[in-house]
Amino acid sequence: MKTIETGRLSDLAQALSAAGYRVVAPMEEGGVVRFREWAPGLAIAPGVVPANSLKDFLFPRSEVVARFALEPGGFSPAPVERSAVKTAVLCARPCDAAALAALDAVFNWDYRDGAYNARREAATVVSLACSKADEHCFCTSVGGAPDGVAGADAILRPADGGRLLVLDALTEKGRALDQAAAGALAEGPAALDAPAALPRRFDPEAVGRWLAANFESPFWKEAALACLGCGACAYACPVCHCFDLQDETDRAECRRLRNWDSCGFGLFTLHASGHNPRPDQSARWRQRVMHKFSIYPQKFKTLACTGCGRCSRLCQAGMAIAATCERIEALGR
Amino acid sequence: MKALREAAEKLLREKRVSLVIGYEGRKGRPAFFAAKPEDCGRLAYDASCRQNLAAYLGKPEIRARLPVALVAPPAVLRSIVVMSAESQVAPGQVLALAVDGDSYLGTFDAAGAAELLRAKYSTLAPEPALLERVQGLLQKSPAERAAFWEAEFSKCTRCYACRAACPGCYCSRCIVEKNAPQWISTAALGHGNYTWNVMRAFHQSGRCTLCGACEAACPQGLPLMLLNAALDREALEEFGSRPGYDPEAKPLIGSWSADDDHSYMR
Repeated sequence: MKTIETGRLSDLAQALSAAGYRVVAPMEEGGVVRFREWAPGLAIAPGVVPANSLKDFLFPRSEVVARFALEPGGFSPAPVERSAVKTAVLCARPCDAAALAALDAVFNWDYRDGAYNARREAATVVSLACSKADEHCFCTSVGGAPDGVAGADAILRPADGGRLLVLDALTEKGRALDQAAAGALAEGPAALDAPAALPRRFDPEAVGRWLAANFESPFWKEAALACLGCGACAYACPVCHCFDLQDETDRAECRRLRNWDSCGFGLFTLHASGHNPRPDQSARWRQRVMHKFSIYPQKFKTLACTGCGRCSRLCQAGMAIAATCERIEALGR
Repeated sequence: MKALREAAEKLLREKRVSLVIGYEGRKGRPAFFAAKPEDCGRLAYDASCRQNLAAYLGKPEIRARLPVALVAPPAVLRSIVVMSAESQVAPGQVLALAVDGDSYLGTFDAAGAAELLRAKYSTLAPEPALLERVQGLLQKSPAERAAFWEAEFSKCTRCYACRAACPGCYCSRCIVEKNAPQWISTAALGHGNYTWNVMRAFHQSGRCTLCGACEAACPQGLPLMLLNAALDREALEEFGSRPGYDPEAKPLIGSWSADDDHSYMR
């Protein structure tokens, strides 16, 4: 087996960096672990689900999608630089990698999104199997597993009580990474640790059935009472991908920005007329739950939730989508 | 906590409020909405309750159900007084179930809350450790301070959890959402992030009750209380402003006085 000591993940990052990869990994800063670009000297923190998801590196929170140079008497389109850097994401969670199928589906649906696909093709995703889960994790309820390989190009599996990680390449990209990292890997025996035991909390198909029949239900008013309407859940979600296009101008040019958007915001789907088909927080929370568990599976045959639990882990008001799904399943019985 | 639950139950039973907004006694102490007297047994309060429940007073679905009662530690009592002073809640529409540590202190309207605060909490001040960090920052050069904040603000995703957490952020359309003209860049990057975060803090100067809910809500762990506490000190030292003690007080940034210091005008 190809192994690396858990405490020496930086060696793996160093080897990949030397082989020409930009390395992205979870690192602690100011008390928060998040995926960011690795640099020599930075310690990789593989122990927890990072606050952000790997979506940040495929679909950044803001990007310029078009430019217009302002000239006397008019304007003309200006080129937008499109460069996707060859990137290795280390210690992605299986729930992060599983989200890629859902993102690929929407960014290649009625239009092939050049910016997303370029970054996607340039990215090699190395998952880290989970040997523990917290009370917010629920991947097993949405078709995933703590040691799931969906979406991953390679996977690191904890072994020998967490001391070692065993690397398995799963795709062509994964094998290329494996070769590039050879210098940092050892060959030898290792006893794989058991993946986290995570009981299934709800059946997403039963949730989807209730949702399809209960667009108008008093449940929504009560279920959304605590929601304060920020975008924290959507922005941390590995699957949420709504965006807003906004033109911003200075004296030299106009930039067309693609910014993340969230169905939690009051401005979401607000029409120029002042009408909003989702006029209150309950309609917006319903949108969030329906999109993930009813609309998306109908349209793309995949859920738009991978059970990473980020949304409920960080919600200031204690909104928890798994608990909502449990209640919905109970309503459908 | 028995006294708190009984007081909440009584308010609902006597139909003095339609809703009691408190914290639920399970892990994480999430917000809990008791609409029936029998729900009140689930209420709890302890120091781990970081959310400022007065933020719900700006939510239309809650406003539609006024009068309501809130479980309110001292900083939240101050928020209720500020909102009352800023005409965001009419007299009698909000009752505070005042709590502090393990104690339930009684049920108060905004005027009563202000009286309690003046009598019992007149010396509320930011935590010494927080003030020390503010002092540490103030001793740095402007360039060093700017570099510190640039690094912090670069993490901001513009999810606006800080705004949602804050009872003072009740504008139905925030300045960051106004685009004719575009006051603040919407890109969650450098300049726009800097402007947004400074603007948010500035709009709270002399209005912030230092409850800490914004910082607790920030998924990126931005040290927002450093900004809030620095502005709180400015407001106090330059204008004698102590928000949340007088339901008749005009908000500092919404008022003007001939006695204000004009020495900066030359």
